Amino acid sequence: MSAANNPLNKSGEPVTWNFKLLAQNDLGGFGGMGEGMSVQIAKDGRRIIWLAHESAPKNFTGVDVSDPRNPKVVVQTDLPKPYMRSNSLELSGDIMAVAYQTQKVNQQPAGLELFDVSVPEKPRSISFLDCSGANSRGVHQLWFCDGEYVHMAAGSPDFEPSHPLDDQFYRCIDVRNPAKPVEVGRWWMPGTKKGETPLTRHKLDKGYRAHNTNVYKQRKDRLYLCYIDGGMFVMDITDKSKPKPISHWTNSPPYTGFMHTAVPLFDRGLLIVTDESTENKAEDWPKLVWIVDARDEKSLVSIATCPLPPVDAYANRGGRFGAHNIHENPPVPTAWQSDQIVIGTFFNGGLRAYDISNPYQPKEVGTFVPPPPKGTPAGAVQLNDVFVDERQIVYTVDRHTGGLYTLEMDF
Amino acid sequence: MNSPFPSPAAGQFGRRLKRERGARLPVTVITGFLGAGKTTLLKRFLTTAEGQGTAVVVNEFGATGIDDVLVRPSADETVLLGNGCLCCITRTDLQQALRRMVIERERGELPDFRRIVIETSGLADPSPILQTFATDRALGGVFHVEAVVTVVDAVTGGDTLAWSAEARKQAILADRLIITKTDIAGEGASTALAARLRALNPGAEIHEAINGEIDPACLAEPASDQRNAFVAETAHSDGIGSFVLEIDEPLPWPVFAKAMDALMQLRGPDLLRVKGFLNVKDCKGPVVVQFVQHLAHPPVELEHWPDRNRRSRVVFITRNILEPQVRGLLAALQNLI
Repeated sequence: MSAANNPLNKSGEPVTWNFKLLAQNDLGGFGGMGEGMSVQIAKDGRRIIWLAHESAPKNFTGVDVSDPRNPKVVVQTDLPKPYMRSNSLELSGDIMAVAYQTQKVNQQPAGLELFDVSVPEKPRSISFLDCSGANSRGVHQLWFCDGEYVHMAAGSPDFEPSHPLDDQFYRCIDVRNPAKPVEVGRWWMPGTKKGETPLTRHKLDKGYRAHNTNVYKQRKDRLYLCYIDGGMFVMDITDKSKPKPISHWTNSPPYTGFMHTAVPLFDRGLLIVTDESTENKAEDWPKLVWIVDARDEKSLVSIATCPLPPVDAYANRGGRFGAHNIHENPPVPTAWQSDQIVIGTFFNGGLRAYDISNPYQPKEVGTFVPPPPKGTPAGAVQLNDVFVDERQIVYTVDRHTGGLYTLEMDF
Repeated sequence: MNSPFPSPAAGQFGRRLKRERGARLPVTVITGFLGAGKTTLLKRFLTTAEGQGTAVVVNEFGATGIDDVLVRPSADETVLLGNGCLCCITRTDLQQALRRMVIERERGELPDFRRIVIETSGLADPSPILQTFATDRALGGVFHVEAVVTVVDAVTGGDTLAWSAEARKQAILADRLIITKTDIAGEGASTALAARLRALNPGAEIHEAINGEIDPACLAEPASDQRNAFVAETAHSDGIGSFVLEIDEPLPWPVFAKAMDALMQLRGPDLLRVKGFLNVKDCKGPVVVQFVQHLAHPPVELEHWPDRNRRSRVVFITRNILEPQVRGLLAALQNLI
C-alpha cells in the first residue's frame, strides 16, 4: 500500500503518540506565534508564559498557565506599526526583552525594548535601544537569561552589509542598568560587511545573518552562534568587546543552509544543531536536527540526525515540513533541563521528541501532530516553537492561527 | 553503557523512564482455547475508543472471524479494519511479521498503529510469544508486552483445564483472566471456574465478559505491577508453581544478575516467567526486571517508585524451582560478590 493510498495518512491526519494534549488556546484569535517563549513565576505565584507573535498586529501575549489544562490570556499588546514584528522575546526575573524587526530597512521603530512585567497585566516599558538604520531591519532574535546581557541577532545604523540579506550580526548589549542598554561587543561573519571579500551565495540564498545567540551559565565565556547560510560558530566571549571564533561547522553545501539553533549539552560533550525549513512543500528538504560531537570544541563532528517520517507523507499537507526550533535548556529556574531528550518543532511535522541516550542513534519517542487549526491559511498545522517548563509541561505554538498547545510528556 | 557521551542524569540502566514500556509500542497477547471467545472479545474491543489504532496479529493458520469488520481486502496478509485498525494474519514467523509491520509503518505504507494485539492459536503455549519480545535483538527495543490476557469460557473451560496442560499454562501465565459465556453456563459454573483459575493463578485479575462486553482497559492497559505482592507460594500440577521473592534491603545489581544468569543457564526451560520490581543499590527508582525462560528483557529503571513500599518483589512462575533455591543462590552470590 502506498502512502498516498493509506487512508490514515491523508492530509492533516493528527498523530498523538506518547504526548498527552492538555489544552489549546487560540489566544483570542491572534494565534500566529513566533519563536519567543519564556516562563515567569509572578510575585503572586501565578505562572505566566510570555509568547512572541509571528507578525503584526500583536506584539506579545502573556498567558496564565498555572493550570496547564486551562490556560488564560492575561495580557496581549499591540505593535505600533503594521510593518513591525516582534518574533523573539526572553525573560529574566521580571524584566522582559523584546526584539523588533521591520519589513524593510530604514523603518522605525526597530530595535530592542525592555519591559518590567512584575505586574503581568501591565507591562511597563523601561527602555528602548534603537537599531534602525539605512541598512538595518532591526532585531530578529535575542537571548536574555542572566539579567545582565542581551545577546542578539541585529542590524545597526553604523553597519553596511555587503549583501542586503546579511544585515543582522551578533550584538551583545549590557542591560545591567535596564534604563540604559548599551552595546559592549559585536561580531560579524567575515565577508558580510561591505568592503570585505563577499561570500559565495547559496542556492536558496537565505543570507549570512546571525540567528540564535545562545549563552549558558555553565560557560559564560562561550557563545553558540548560528549564522543561517553561514553555518554555526562556537565563539569565545571571555572579552565581550572582542568575540573570537573558536570553531565553525556547516552542513551546506551540500545542504541548503539556514542553520538556526545550536544547543550545547555540556556534560555530554554534544551540540544539538537545527536547520530551519523555510520553503513550502518541503522544497528545501531535508531540514534536520543534527547531533554534533563537541568533545573537542575546536573539532566539531556531526554524528547523527534525528529521524523524520517520510517526506512524501508530509510534503503536500500544507506549509512547511522540516526542522525549526528545539527546547534550548535556557539556564533559568523555570526551564526543564535535559541532555537525554531533544524536543523540537517541525512545522506540519508537528512536535517530536527524541531519546538521544545513544547519540549515534537518536530515537523518536513522542509525536504530536494536531489537526489543522481553525482558519489556518497553511492547510496544516505549522508548529513553530517549543518550551518545556521545570514541571515538564510542554508548550508549543502554531505559526498561523493555532496559538498555544499545552502537553504532558508520556515516555 | 560505555559511551563517549555519558549523561550524569542517566542511571546505570540508561534513561530513567516514567513507565515500564517507555516509548515502546504496547502489546497485548490474547490466549485461550478454541471457542473460548477470543475473537468476540477482540471484535468488541476494536469498536471502542481504546481500540482505535490497534494492529491485530492473528498468529495461526486459516484464521477466521474478524473478516466481517474489514473494510477492504489487501493483496498481502495485512488488511485494514473498520476504525483505523489493521489486521495481519501471519502464516510465517511472528517476529518476521512484526518486523515487517514496523518497517512499513515507518515508510507510511501502513497506518500509524499504536497498539498490537496478538491473538494466538487456541492451542498455543504463550511462552514462545513472550520470548519474541524479550531482547533488543528480537523485538524488545520496539515492543513491550503490557498484558497477557487469557480467555476461558464458563461452559467448557473447567473441563479443558482438567485435560489440557496447554490450557493450564495459558491460565498460569496470564496477567488477566477473562471468563466468557457466563450467561449460558449453568448456575455456579462461573463461580467454580473462577475458583479453579484463582487456584492456578492467584495473582491475576479475573473479569467476566458477556458477549464480549468488557472494560476495554482489560486489553488496553498494563497489568498492575503490584498484583502479585500478596501471592503466597502455590504449586500446580505439571510441577508448575509460583512464588514472590521479596527482599527488604537494596540488592547490588551484580548479585541479582549473576543469580539469574545461573538460573537461566541451568534451568532456563523451567523459568516460565519472572517479573517484578527490584530495589537495586544506588538506583533512584525501581528496576523492572523480566525473564522468559533463557531470555532476559533489558532492565528498565523507572523515575519513581509507585508507592512507599521499597521492597524488591519479583514474581517467579517456574517448573520445579522453589523459592528457597533462589534465595540460597542469591545468598551464596552475595557472599562472593
